[in-house]
Amino acid sequence: MTYGRRAFLGGLAASAGSLALPRMTQAAPLANVKELGVLRVGLYSGNRPWSYEEGGKVLGIDADIARAVADSFGVKTDLALFPADEEVSDDLRNVVWRGGLLGFRKCDVMFHVPFDRDFAAKEDQVVILAPYYRESFGAACSSGLPECEGTPTEFRGRRLAAELDSIPDFYLIGSFGGILRPDVTHYTTGFEAVAAIKDGRADLAVATDAQIESALAKAPGGDAKRRKGPLPAMLSPGWDVGIAVDEKSRSLGFAIEEEMDAMMASGRMAEIFSAHGVTWRPANAVQV
Amino acid sequence: MKGRFKTFAAALVATCAITAIPANADNHAGPSMADLMNDANSHGDVLTYGMGPWQQRYSALNKINTQTVKRLVPVYSASLGGEKQRGQESQPIVYDGTIYVTGSYSRLFAFDAKTGEKKWEYNARLPDGIMPCCDVVNRGAAIHGDKIIFSTLDAHLVALNRETGKVIWNKEIGDYKAGYSATAAPIIVKDMVVVGNSGGEFGVVGAVQARNVDTGELVWNRPVIEGHMGTLNGKDNGITGKTNATWEGDLWKTGGGATWLGGTYDPGTNLLYFGTGNPAPWNSHLRPGDNLYTSSTVAIDADTGKIKWHYQTTPHDGWDFDGVNEFIPFDATMNGKKMQLGAKADRNGYFYVLDRTDGKFIGAHKFVMQTTWADGIGKDGRPNFTKDGRPGAPNGAEKGKVVFSSPSFLGGKNWMPMAYSRDTELFYIPSNDWGMDIWNEPIAYKKGAAYLGAGFTIKPIADDHIGALRAMDPKTGKIVWEYKNPAPLWGGVLTTGGNLVFTGTPEGYLKAFDAKTGQEVWKFQTGSGVVGSPVTWEDGGEQYVAVMSGWGGAVPLWGGEVAKTFKDISQGGSLWVFKLYNE
Repeated sequence: MTYGRRAFLGGLAASAGSLALPRMTQAAPLANVKELGVLRVGLYSGNRPWSYEEGGKVLGIDADIARAVADSFGVKTDLALFPADEEVSDDLRNVVWRGGLLGFRKCDVMFHVPFDRDFAAKEDQVVILAPYYRESFGAACSSGLPECEGTPTEFRGRRLAAELDSIPDFYLIGSFGGILRPDVTHYTTGFEAVAAIKDGRADLAVATDAQIESALAKAPGGDAKRRKGPLPAMLSPGWDVGIAVDEKSRSLGFAIEEEMDAMMASGRMAEIFSAHGVTWRPANAVQV
Repeated sequence: MKGRFKTFAAALVATCAITAIPANADNHAGPSMADLMNDANSHGDVLTYGMGPWQQRYSALNKINTQTVKRLVPVYSASLGGEKQRGQESQPIVYDGTIYVTGSYSRLFAFDAKTGEKKWEYNARLPDGIMPCCDVVNRGAAIHGDKIIFSTLDAHLVALNRETGKVIWNKEIGDYKAGYSATAAPIIVKDMVVVGNSGGEFGVVGAVQARNVDTGELVWNRPVIEGHMGTLNGKDNGITGKTNATWEGDLWKTGGGATWLGGTYDPGTNLLYFGTGNPAPWNSHLRPGDNLYTSSTVAIDADTGKIKWHYQTTPHDGWDFDGVNEFIPFDATMNGKKMQLGAKADRNGYFYVLDRTDGKFIGAHKFVMQTTWADGIGKDGRPNFTKDGRPGAPNGAEKGKVVFSSPSFLGGKNWMPMAYSRDTELFYIPSNDWGMDIWNEPIAYKKGAAYLGAGFTIKPIADDHIGALRAMDPKTGKIVWEYKNPAPLWGGVLTTGGNLVFTGTPEGYLKAFDAKTGQEVWKFQTGSGVVGSPVTWEDGGEQYVAVMSGWGGAVPLWGGEVAKTFKDISQGGSLWVFKLYNE
């Protein structure tokens, strides 16, 4: 399998007007990381299955990928969990190119950044690359729920669950004339929303595929099932997930991308996902 | 009607009783509760945020006046030092020869009031994982007995020994990891520290807390969104409002309404007045109903923490019109009747006058150039919403209808406190004329995942100014005079018995105006933008004025066309103190 994301990236950066050729030859940031012997990686806190803390350890798919990348460089990993700000633009500012106002040190790379042409065009301080997963939304239900494959209006009166301030949330409270609004309970994360089905607090949850798969596999409790069909009138068709480095750290970004390429080709990437109960799906941007 | 007069008489007696108590002679013991309540009438100190529980920011001192102000010169400038500059929105506290100021990054300083020499400095140890949305400001401290108390960006209240700067107690008022923070000056009422909370993050719920001033222990807590249970002395103390009356589903649980600007207090009614922030989620089409008590003023009984009345300035907000602005009590005779009133200049561009005993609507008038979202406030106190003034709901992947809205989300007035003169009977409102294009985004990203967001771009609406200091007559709603400033006004106002109004500008000036005519009578360049709140006091027969200089706050973080007016302003962080030059 080959991944043509470099060609895609060229187009992406050129459209943002920031890919100056001399920059590409600057090897310093990668050399710095190797010299210092540490790769500092910014990861969202409370973002299971991607990155979260448990018993003082940083766990999750993104954490495992970051460790594997650092290993391949022969350096240590410094996993810096940070709280999500209002939008990813704010996160990029705090984590990748400026640092937090209160001393949060810039990271060499941030994981779990949307790989989206319009979004990248607006973010001229960073380079977004290495799309490594295709995310989209789905639903999960308690095992006995017959409406799981039905139209959402049939969910009326059921105990519905979603992550606060997310597309699944606004899908449930805003679509279909708002008739489902009184039935929705909000959770801090999508993982928790799905976990609520397994422990009997909810009948149906809308969440990302990764949240659904990981919670069905890993959250404690009884049986639950995944909705097979798509959700009608879902607001987002899904998006690719990548990484971001400072605009001045292209050399490092490309090196990470190459390593992640190799992990995808060798099956290592799929293994990492699988360990968290999630099926790895390659990003649309690399399926040429 | 009869009842109201009874209350008024009682309040009058209470006020007189407080005034009659002599200032505490034993300075070592520190200011007492009676001293704090009498702050508006004691001229040798500045003990409270706003200069008295009503926070009128008025001093009867008149040695510095429209005639003498030309001789006003600096005595000293005391730097906060270090690299931590950014916005200095603090108001100084002056007591027993010491000036206390809070600085950016949750710092507190004590300076010798005569010389500016630093006595001590306290730096809160903040976790580096806090990502404050709107600069690292702090608005001031509260003093009581041997303690000086302030709130920190990681949502703590810290009480320090006012002589040594050593910590006496330190309490968490919210979980910073869940998005809570604190920037307001606490107020002290009945030996309790009363504070609100900040939080830009979705999921935060506004509340007002009262804590024992000696121990920091919680006395009562009052969440301001309907459906939430309050507490008093560790026990349940009733639900705010009526669950699901104006919110559907469980949206009230995360409804917003942060009380981040603190509040005022009226000893006569024993009510605390707190403004509440805008509701969540952003897209108003997802939360039909008034969404009580967001974008409101709530009046809370100081003893029980129960809400006595509420008044909503922007029902079902869709423009980010945070209702946090200060509600300032004042007394006035209207239509021949003596009234106990309060006034608030709201983000939404209207200046409201209410009966402070029961929240009854008296009147509301526009204090900005333009309000596109409503074309007035009806007799019932509800806005006449403009047709098509609300940003539309997104339709599938299409963003919702873009509307031009004025004021912008930063408001006709933002955090910066206004002042009320007992001499001119005018309110002096630091305001801004600006609009925004606003829309509901179909898709944005948060925590790397897709969600529905909002977009906006702020735009000037006048050729010659953004900021405007306006003198408003609360009885008629007439603007008596206005001063226009090129850059947005972002600092507090002080008015004095010398017929003066003081305020700062981002261009670096502290300015004085004739309180009756608005004529500029004095200015001084402080070297960085002034976004602090000036104060005045008397010592050794001389009148002093102090203000913090240091450009920052939320304005510089929002670019667009408005940024042209302040892009060359340098940051800073210093306390300036002035007095009259004697020949």
